[in-house]
Amino acid sequence: MRGYGPVFYLVEAYYGLRANGLVNLLAMGTITMAMLIVGCSLLVFLNLRSAVGAMGERLEISVYLKDGLTDQEKDFLVTRLKAEPGVKKAVFQSKTEALDLLRKELKGQEALLEGLGENPLPDSYELTIDSRSSDAAKMDALSKRIEKLHGVADVSYGRESVEVLDRLLRMVTYGGMVLAALLGVTVVFIISNSVRLALYSRGGEIELMQWIGATRSFITGPFLVEGMLVAAIGTALSLGVLAGLFHAIPREAVHFLAGPGGLEFLPSWVIAYMIGGGALLGLLGGLVSVNRFLE
Amino acid sequence: MIHLYRVSKYYEGIPALREITFSVDKGEFVFVTGPSGAGKSTLLKILFCAERADEGQIIIQGMNTFRLGTSSIPYLRRNMGFVFQDYKLLPHKTVYENIALALKVVGTPYGDIERRALVALKKVGMDNKDHLTPPKLSGGEQQRVAIARALVNEPQILLADEPTGSLDPQAGQEVFRLFKDINMKGTTVLVATHDWETVRKMQRRIVAMERGRIVTDSKEPVLNPAKAGTGAPGAVPA
Repeated sequence: MRGYGPVFYLVEAYYGLRANGLVNLLAMGTITMAMLIVGCSLLVFLNLRSAVGAMGERLEISVYLKDGLTDQEKDFLVTRLKAEPGVKKAVFQSKTEALDLLRKELKGQEALLEGLGENPLPDSYELTIDSRSSDAAKMDALSKRIEKLHGVADVSYGRESVEVLDRLLRMVTYGGMVLAALLGVTVVFIISNSVRLALYSRGGEIELMQWIGATRSFITGPFLVEGMLVAAIGTALSLGVLAGLFHAIPREAVHFLAGPGGLEFLPSWVIAYMIGGGALLGLLGGLVSVNRFLE
Repeated sequence: MIHLYRVSKYYEGIPALREITFSVDKGEFVFVTGPSGAGKSTLLKILFCAERADEGQIIIQGMNTFRLGTSSIPYLRRNMGFVFQDYKLLPHKTVYENIALALKVVGTPYGDIERRALVALKKVGMDNKDHLTPPKLSGGEQQRVAIARALVNEPQILLADEPTGSLDPQAGQEVFRLFKDINMKGTTVLVATHDWETVRKMQRRIVAMERGRIVTDSKEPVLNPAKAGTGAPGAVPA
């Protein structure tokens, strides 16, 4: 005789969930809380990463030129600069343009510039850097290479902001990974305990099923599906709560935290991965208990 | 159908079965008798692969149970029904659900479950109580339901371990009458019991055990002459 398909296991799992309703509700609630933390971490990580990416787009290196360079020397320098890996664009800014810009930035306090006499600002090239080369180490290496080029007086870039962002992103990445691993183990532990309780409460039935010729998969299948369902539903609930909280953040707070670009909620592929991952953790938790119980 | 050759079983070094050798033909009705501790239940558990023998060979329906992997045991059990002294019915499920479970376990199509469960219950006269839960039934009725569950998958062998041990004599007689009917329809029946009275009345093959050994087998020549003619069950002719 043939066995039953997934619908049978789902139906049996549903009855199992109902039979141990309180235990499963508690497990689901705990998983919701755990996965809410994972979701929050992911939300912060993804938004931070896109913020860093966007800043990388805006990152520029200012290459200040020595006085008295000929046009030919400037042309040669710009060719060398554009040839550097990571340099997307090089725009020349004359010392006059630089002073005008400074004057604009000091709007209302132009008096500060009076008495300067001759324009002290140098000619410069403003380099736009590719986001893939915008991490601290690459920016540092690039600026050191440029410093050595003929005609370059000085090089400056937002070293500190790059380093801070870099450190922050790394911290969120590694911290998030450690947190996700810890919470993953927690989910496995919670599920294995709730499945174990279900197994003990139905111990007599399981023993009887073994006596009357039930295969291992027939006995364990519903419990494993139960574990998967509890974890997947718990994860889905956590995402629902996270979405609710996310949309409840006042618009002003979003602007303050993330600038005019705003914050983005988790993309659908991350949501799918989280629910799938939750189900897998549930399966793992179920397997731990079921194998121990049947042995 | 069932062949045992020099089968021994030890629990922490103490022998529960010692070199048991006997065969059961297809369609036979065999009583395994003996006092408590004789090894009757151990023998049945070994036949049902709930326990593994330490020595000897067991062949059931052409399958050597020594070579049977754990994953194959459920398939062997599907060809054997087992009736327990304590019925082992699920108290929170109805009579019908208890029978249906045995059908589900072997993957019976959903459409056939109700019909087959009711047919099995009718055979034991319990079809009118299919909606009740076991605690609402008498001991005899519960055992009849357990027999229906053991038979619902039409096994070729029925094993029963002290099936009347918890029943009054009248209910016990009813259970043995059912076994007789089942055997008449071709099922091989092996019953472990110490109900000498019923065993004598039934006039079937008797394998008598004592301290883990077969002391008499009414089908075979007397193994232990000391027991012959003493009124022990082995003396009952086949």
